[in-house]
Amino acid sequence: MATIGIPRALLYYQYYPMWQTFFGELGAETVVSPPTTQAMVAAGSARVVTDTCLPVKVFCGHVLSLTDRCDYIFIPAVRSIKSKTYNCSKFLGLPDMTRAVIPEAPPVLDIDIDVNRGKRVLYQNIYKLGRNLTRNPTKIRQAAINAWQAHLDYQSLMSREGLTPPQAIKIEQISGRASMIDSTLTQPSIAIIGHPYLLYDGYINHRLIPRLEQANYKVSTPEMVITAELEAATARLAGGTYWTYEADVVGAGEYYLRSGVSGIIGIMTFSCGPDSLMMHLVHRQAAMLSNTPFMNLTLEEHTAEAGLITRLEAFLDMIQRKKKRQVETCV
Amino acid sequence: MRVGIPHAGNIYIPLKAIFQRLEVDYVIPPLNNQRTLSLGVKHSPEGLCIPFKLTMGNMIEAAEQGADTLLMPGGYGICRLGYYAKIQEQVIHDLGYNAEMIQLGVSEQKLLGLLQIIKRLTNNAPWPRIISACRFGLAKLNALDDIERLVQKTRATEINRGTANQIYTEAIKAIDDADNYRTLKQVKKTYLDKLQNVTRDPQARPLVVGITGEFYVLLEPFSNMDVEKELGKLGVEVRRTTFISEWTKFSLFLNPLGVDEKSKIHRAAQPYLKRDVGGDGWESVGEKVLHANEYDGLVHLAPFTCMPEIVAQNIMPKTRENTPVLTVLCDEQMGKAGLITRLEAFVDLLEYRREKRNNSH
Repeated sequence: MATIGIPRALLYYQYYPMWQTFFGELGAETVVSPPTTQAMVAAGSARVVTDTCLPVKVFCGHVLSLTDRCDYIFIPAVRSIKSKTYNCSKFLGLPDMTRAVIPEAPPVLDIDIDVNRGKRVLYQNIYKLGRNLTRNPTKIRQAAINAWQAHLDYQSLMSREGLTPPQAIKIEQISGRASMIDSTLTQPSIAIIGHPYLLYDGYINHRLIPRLEQANYKVSTPEMVITAELEAATARLAGGTYWTYEADVVGAGEYYLRSGVSGIIGIMTFSCGPDSLMMHLVHRQAAMLSNTPFMNLTLEEHTAEAGLITRLEAFLDMIQRKKKRQVETCV
Repeated sequence: MRVGIPHAGNIYIPLKAIFQRLEVDYVIPPLNNQRTLSLGVKHSPEGLCIPFKLTMGNMIEAAEQGADTLLMPGGYGICRLGYYAKIQEQVIHDLGYNAEMIQLGVSEQKLLGLLQIIKRLTNNAPWPRIISACRFGLAKLNALDDIERLVQKTRATEINRGTANQIYTEAIKAIDDADNYRTLKQVKKTYLDKLQNVTRDPQARPLVVGITGEFYVLLEPFSNMDVEKELGKLGVEVRRTTFISEWTKFSLFLNPLGVDEKSKIHRAAQPYLKRDVGGDGWESVGEKVLHANEYDGLVHLAPFTCMPEIVAQNIMPKTRENTPVLTVLCDEQMGKAGLITRLEAFVDLLEYRREKRNNSH
């Protein structure tokens, strides 16, 4: 049985159940790399040029950790998942770049996802990917259909139960459907917006989610909003969608700015092309509405934990003070 | 209506000619200078690239001079450039200028879209007039680029350093002033002759260095700190395939007809980069492979934080063709002395390689 390595970075958080189902149906086993560690980031950073962004460095570290553990590594090149949208070059060139900087990696299974080029091309690409594992077209077709269903289930599970991707993946794996968290609605909540590979990688964001939970806040993330609402919010703030994953930042930002959360934290990495523009839009909107505190954290591999904690504490203090003042004026 | 445009190399000269012929009221902001950069940096989101910051500066300076309609390229499928017009319009409005930003969707709408925008700017001028004006603009563009190509060659071997640059500056002015085809033709011939007659060192065997990378920083000398001139001073012949005239010829006229001039470059890049990564990343990798035997070295120019060029930068050193590549990242923090030192070291390395190769033969 072929084993397929899946780096726990970048698109893993969005699509893992889908990939797992697809390869599983074709009789392959998926191996996921362990959570990010300091050593992985150091190893990944050593391979690419310094100007590469942190998530890609992390990705390379994960690929390196998988090199001896699988027969293939799966790296998709996602260009668009909706018509007339476009993705960051680093996603487009990811398979080629990984091959160039990590020549010792197992053979890369890549697939071009570009809905702008029509369904036919997309289906052909899926077929080409499946051909690496089986010669039976019906089996590939069935695997793709089931994979898509798994993806839809995963998305609705997250928005219905208010789960983050890592929680949802865990539930799907033990295939229990019991609600894992008891969401007390009275608890004040903080929304964090950004791409899943930043929000759920505890190494990159210095365990931001547990820290917020410790401070007694409920954490809301973009996945907890249903897709239609995110799209509507994106359209409100940015007009047409330009980026493939624009809803993670612009849509979620606009949605939570009007949802009455106690505060919003935007997370991006240094030198991120798309986010430098999208986070700016949200930042500007927050300043204009000026009803919800907004903090933008720009992370890179040198971000010191203490600095982040200080900023977080100051932000939470500010929220507390704001609330107290509101109560006083009411009284 | 007053139209304002951003700068990118000499593009303002043909645009000015078109506007003049069509009697459109226009503003050409000052050529890129320190003030443009400071204004742009001050009013741009920090993580953006130098093309955004400089064009932002141009827009503000145009608005200061009363421009109320600003032209900016945009559209899907390039890189973040497609998003720039949107953000720049917001910044212009936030600064209190009431200007409208018109997006030129050059990659999708091609020639027809461009012509329609010009028609709108001219208040529905008749098509024959628009087309004749555009033809004249293109003639100026071609003249400029023909002269620039010869300048790149002449710089490397001239005995009195700086002669070619001086002639080039004069030529730009003369072409800008030419107002009909006859003078334009004369001016072009005069300056090409002048360049031909520059005294050269007959013994010189200049190194050939290709320049590739991102479109804007390649074409706008202010953003790359005159890297071509500096290489010329070191006695290097610079070759560049990106010229605005070439670009317009293909992407506006020939590509819609099905001619793909880049297919050769893309094929060359195939073994290392299989797909378009936006911007000019694919072409950068392709150029290295394609011209491996022609160039002694390659200077790869990219704006700092440019997404496509980072992909290219990661892949370029790993190709089998081992032409040395010097990647120069351009941003507002760049220092001229640092650049010159790096160029000198690079040229030394290329000379050493050439000597070694000649000795071994």
